[in-house]
Amino acid sequence: MLEAFSSGFWQVIAWPAFGYLLLGIMVGFWVGLLPGIGGLATLALMLPFSYTIKTPIEAFCFLLGMLAVTGTTGDLTSILFGIPGESSSAAMILDGYPMSKKGEAGRALGAAIMSSLFGAVIGALSLAISIPIMRPLVLLFGSPELFIITIMGITFIGTLAGASLIKGLLAGGVGLMLAAIGVDPQTGSLRYTFGFLYLWDGLDVTPVVVGLFAIPEIVDLAVRGTSISQAPKEKLKGVMEGVKDTFRHFWLVVRCSLIGVYFGVLPVLGANVAQWIAYAHSVSGLKDRKQAGKGAVEGVLGPGAANNSTRGGDLIPTIAFGIPGSASMALLLGALLIVGLQPGPEMLKSRLDVTFAMVWILIISNIIVAGICFLILNHLAALTFIRGSLLIPFLVVLVFIGSFTANNSLHDLLVTLIFGSLGYFMVLYGWPRPPLILGLILGKIGENYLWISTAAYGAKWLAFPSVLILIVLTVIIVAYPTIKERRGRAKYDRPEDAI
Amino acid sequence: MEKFRNAHSSKGFRSVLAHASRLSPLASLLFLMQFFNLLTVQLLFAQTPFYQGKTINIIVGTKAGDAYDLYPRLMAEYLPKYIPGSPNVIIQNVPGAASMIAANQIYNVSKPDGLTIGAIYPALYLDQLANKPEVRFDWSKFHFIGTPVVSNHLMYMRSDAPYKSMEDIRKASTPPKCGANGTTSTGYYMPKLLEETIATKFDIVTGYQSGGDVDLAVERGEVICRAFTITAYFAREPFITWRKKGFVNVLFQSGSKRDERIKDAPTIYELMDKYKTTEAGKRLSTVVLAAGDFGRPLVFAPAVPADRVKIVRDAFDKIVKDPAYLADAQKRNLEIDPSSGDEIQKLAKEVVTAPPDIVERMKKLMGTGK
Repeated sequence: MLEAFSSGFWQVIAWPAFGYLLLGIMVGFWVGLLPGIGGLATLALMLPFSYTIKTPIEAFCFLLGMLAVTGTTGDLTSILFGIPGESSSAAMILDGYPMSKKGEAGRALGAAIMSSLFGAVIGALSLAISIPIMRPLVLLFGSPELFIITIMGITFIGTLAGASLIKGLLAGGVGLMLAAIGVDPQTGSLRYTFGFLYLWDGLDVTPVVVGLFAIPEIVDLAVRGTSISQAPKEKLKGVMEGVKDTFRHFWLVVRCSLIGVYFGVLPVLGANVAQWIAYAHSVSGLKDRKQAGKGAVEGVLGPGAANNSTRGGDLIPTIAFGIPGSASMALLLGALLIVGLQPGPEMLKSRLDVTFAMVWILIISNIIVAGICFLILNHLAALTFIRGSLLIPFLVVLVFIGSFTANNSLHDLLVTLIFGSLGYFMVLYGWPRPPLILGLILGKIGENYLWISTAAYGAKWLAFPSVLILIVLTVIIVAYPTIKERRGRAKYDRPEDAI
Repeated sequence: MEKFRNAHSSKGFRSVLAHASRLSPLASLLFLMQFFNLLTVQLLFAQTPFYQGKTINIIVGTKAGDAYDLYPRLMAEYLPKYIPGSPNVIIQNVPGAASMIAANQIYNVSKPDGLTIGAIYPALYLDQLANKPEVRFDWSKFHFIGTPVVSNHLMYMRSDAPYKSMEDIRKASTPPKCGANGTTSTGYYMPKLLEETIATKFDIVTGYQSGGDVDLAVERGEVICRAFTITAYFAREPFITWRKKGFVNVLFQSGSKRDERIKDAPTIYELMDKYKTTEAGKRLSTVVLAAGDFGRPLVFAPAVPADRVKIVRDAFDKIVKDPAYLADAQKRNLEIDPSSGDEIQKLAKEVVTAPPDIVERMKKLMGTGK
């Protein structure tokens, strides 16, 4: 095993594999930065180029290297402009963007990049460590367990609700309702499609997230007529402070990374969900919960770590069974077949070196991108001091191109506009937006797993020991803050309205 | 381009006359004869190929990177070689509603000038038969260019389950649980078709996000069977490992002949003979199974001029025989088993004229009659 471990490393840093890795990082860097244009769409575009690559490790250097860094650079856009660079970076906005507004962009960026690096390394190591137990690990979660985990995720709406629990729950409820749009997979009946074929597949998360979060910020920027940072322009020195923050909250970063890995392993869930859970976990531990959403660095560290560590978790079912853990993994599998490697159990035996090479690619590409980011960080942070009127046209173009890539349909733009207006009024009247997104993402998943569990096991699944344990765990998570409060150990207020 | 050519030839004409005037009468006569000879030949070929300097757009009804997307992408690389005039070929993904958005767009919106090809799902005609209001096309009026692959289906069953054959399932008191994504997937309507034709009972669990999720559920024992394409069964994990370990058995296949690689599994036609399926049942299966014969079809809108349809059909027929194309397909793990445009055109006419009672049964089967 050790031999494969080192062989994987040497194969990754050998030429031309390393060149492909650098190329992948370069592409991924920009893909991450540009809002909406996601790793998945780019992976699909880059796939034909990988046909000409000779060995599996070289192809993986290019594709996985690209995918691995999008999480990190996506966070940068969220912090700088309040616009999610990737749909998995939306949670980063909640505290990252307020930090930029306070003139602490440097510190937020430092914290995001460092926690991303940590997350990626922990994700990669989890992948390496879990190699012997991969198969039972994946088989542990059947549909009933996944349903309870989804419910657990939905309870985090309470934590993300902000100032008003009622408003939070209502927003979450709207999200769940929006999740019902589309062809229902059980009977094939159409729900809330109003004669639009576009709605058959349900709402795509990307245009909704981009609209909900980006448009209000752009309008706000235009109305204020200033630069993003409202603080006077000083020397940007916070970067090291942000790096130090990562070490100050070391265990928080580790815990959030593990949340990311865990959600990566679970099918269908993944970075889009993990970021919110990690965020909720981070801010629920704040001493002064009023600081949440006002630029608390913990709210940057949590999602930063989680959305990067999911990549490692994602690879686990892909390798253990040859069954992709997410849409991007499905594309990677396609690429592997083309270069002549059959992903699946063979990769735990005769091609263990390839598996370890993946671990190394995740680690090395994130170290490199963190290095690049730190080099140009001051220039990036300086963007927040540019006059808004110069930035806005550029941002608007990026936002709409980004949402258009979801389905290449004009309807994508319409969805962005509708949710943009909705988002604007939500901000205006103090309604939290994260519960709506969480409801939208989890609603469909929860419904499916509930149906599958019932269809496969009747009502028996409710008595499965694993299900009972998860239910108890969920109850504890929901009740814990209240219990803590009653005991008078700490007087918590609900975290402030996140934005 | 055309203008340029005309200008060029008229200039040529003047210079030829100038040459001719300087020669002896006989020589000039010969020369002129030769010239007119050349001129007629030139006139015959003066018409530049329609596709020269143009761009063909292939509208693919799925997201980029989907298996349905890979075939047209490969085709796009070879079309310029075989269409006179070597047009550019680009891919445009118009995903959504199981490629119905793309089909509607090709049929109604795109200019029928032969520059827009559609790559759509083969089962869309079932929606037309079910009279869904969203369908804005007549399947049989599309010009079919061809399909690079005809896809037959199979059903696998965990080998530790007590169901070793369709007979076992017919006799079983509790039906086996099969996994599927939605009601429009083969995972759903294949077992349903078996229920309708040979009276087996299945408990179909729908709602899985992807075929891979069904396979994982089979590993876990949540469900024990799934129907899908034979191609995928032989091309991908986890099936390679499963076959090696004997984890699953194949219980039936949907082709008219037994596939070489799964000789032990009976075809649906053999089963229908064995269990004396009614004539109506047989017609129903013809209608439903036709989706496999359409494969991964490439189509033109009805109003595209016939000569252009012919050019592209001819190109298609040559491409699927090109060894370089076949080698590329093999490299990308895409099975090639083509069917020409003419063949599937006839089939399209047949399926849309299914009688009302068959359509009613089909609707029930697809879950659309509820």
